[in-house]
Amino acid sequence: MVVKIRLARFGRRHAPFYNIVVCQARTARDSKPMEVLGTYDPIPKPPIDGEGRAWKDIKLDSVRARYWLGVGAQPSDTAWRILSMAGLLEPKFRPQGQTLRPHTLVKSVRFDTRSWGQRKRDHEATV
Amino acid sequence: MPLSLKSPSLPSSITACTKHIYSQTQSRSLSASSRQNSSGRVTRARSQLYRWLGQQGAIFRDPADGHTNYLSAYTPDGQLRRVIEAARDKKAEKKAARDANPNAIIPDAEESGVKKAIPPETTRDLRPFPLNPQFVSQSVLSREAKEKIWEAVMVDGMSVRDASSSFSVEMSRVAAVVRLLEIEKEWTRIKKPLARAYSNAVMNMLPISKFEPDEQRRIAEGIPPHESINDLPIHPATGPQIFHPTSESRVFSRADAAKVFHERLLPADDRVPHPELTIQHKEFTVGLTKEEIRKNQEERDAEAEVIRMRKERRKKAGVVKTIDTSRWAFKFTDINVDKAGKDGRGAQGVGWRYGKPLMDRKRGQVKIPTSVDL
Repeated sequence: MVVKIRLARFGRRHAPFYNIVVCQARTARDSKPMEVLGTYDPIPKPPIDGEGRAWKDIKLDSVRARYWLGVGAQPSDTAWRILSMAGLLEPKFRPQGQTLRPHTLVKSVRFDTRSWGQRKRDHEATV
Repeated sequence: MPLSLKSPSLPSSITACTKHIYSQTQSRSLSASSRQNSSGRVTRARSQLYRWLGQQGAIFRDPADGHTNYLSAYTPDGQLRRVIEAARDKKAEKKAARDANPNAIIPDAEESGVKKAIPPETTRDLRPFPLNPQFVSQSVLSREAKEKIWEAVMVDGMSVRDASSSFSVEMSRVAAVVRLLEIEKEWTRIKKPLARAYSNAVMNMLPISKFEPDEQRRIAEGIPPHESINDLPIHPATGPQIFHPTSESRVFSRADAAKVFHERLLPADDRVPHPELTIQHKEFTVGLTKEEIRKNQEERDAEAEVIRMRKERRKKAGVVKTIDTSRWAFKFTDINVDKAGKDGRGAQGVGWRYGKPLMDRKRGQVKIPTSVDL
């Protein structure tokens, strides 16, 4: 059976909170997973200094996530989005006609070991 | 024609004033107040105001430079109270001297060609609102002082704390001066117009404290500090009056007193803005030389810097990165899966726990906080 990386919904009504989990594909959504890789809180929090963007909190064990991707775990679309933001995967979807900011342009392939700065520099060199 | 364009200056006499108002009302027939004024009638208060402005009040229309011009500093007939008092004192002094020694020749200031200086303002003269005697206008920093502070911090690389203690200006004020001057310099650089006239007008109205950057000279010349910099801020935990009996043999220090108020409240010596000044003074009273005091302070600063750096590093390690999208900033914090422990329920672990029901919907659970940490 396929091992998936996906979100499990917890929290309350109108107050969602997700665990990022590694589990068998056919198990129930909120059942006990093989491993909890982290959490995703989709409710935006007001900016800390009172200005700028509201922020969303994501906790992730990137080492374990990289391991599970390496052994063939398949991320769901949402999990893919989160993992690509963390720099572990190449983004799957990009909105039509929208150019992303340079630091969200993750040009990495799986198991890219370059640092963020290096990745950015490489990207700038190719553009 | 708008009123302000037609009459840029106020008329000085009552007749001029009446004429002035009359001419205005004719051109402003649509105004709601035109009916009242069309007869040329002027209220008594208004006419008195203009009479006053033409006579005693003239000093307020064209204020003298070099000192403040508040109502409370003048007598009702428009003379500076402190000048009158100084003259009276001088007269009394002269009289006393003459009585003591009738043959001595006392030089007169006016006769000897010395120009009479206006005596410095007292608290009485610094009350701009006669009906509010509690309000006393406080001295502000001069332009020169601000520039010196900015230079010390931004050019010479002095810390805000050091600049505050050496210029005797509060730390928050030092920080504000530096920030505002930075903005001003930036505006000058990009040629954004500055409201200089406004600034000058305000500065002319306020008392300005004397500034002497050199501490030794300041003490020698007896120039008072700009403000008190080491005042103990009031902490809400110290509000209640506590009767705390202790044994007579016990040494009860400020640290103990702080503990009585709240177990986590710092002692007063550490809560003041400049605890290092207290320590330095203690060392001075013990008899250490200036060099030794300075050396000790440098060591303490280095220690504090190490602690600060360690804290910063720890904080940096917490948040891995922030990713800005067009709508949100996503904050990624790196965690360790193993922290959750073998059963996945460790206190250090993240995420919603499995197999542990939450009690928040259970009957009898108190959800309102029962105490607030200070």
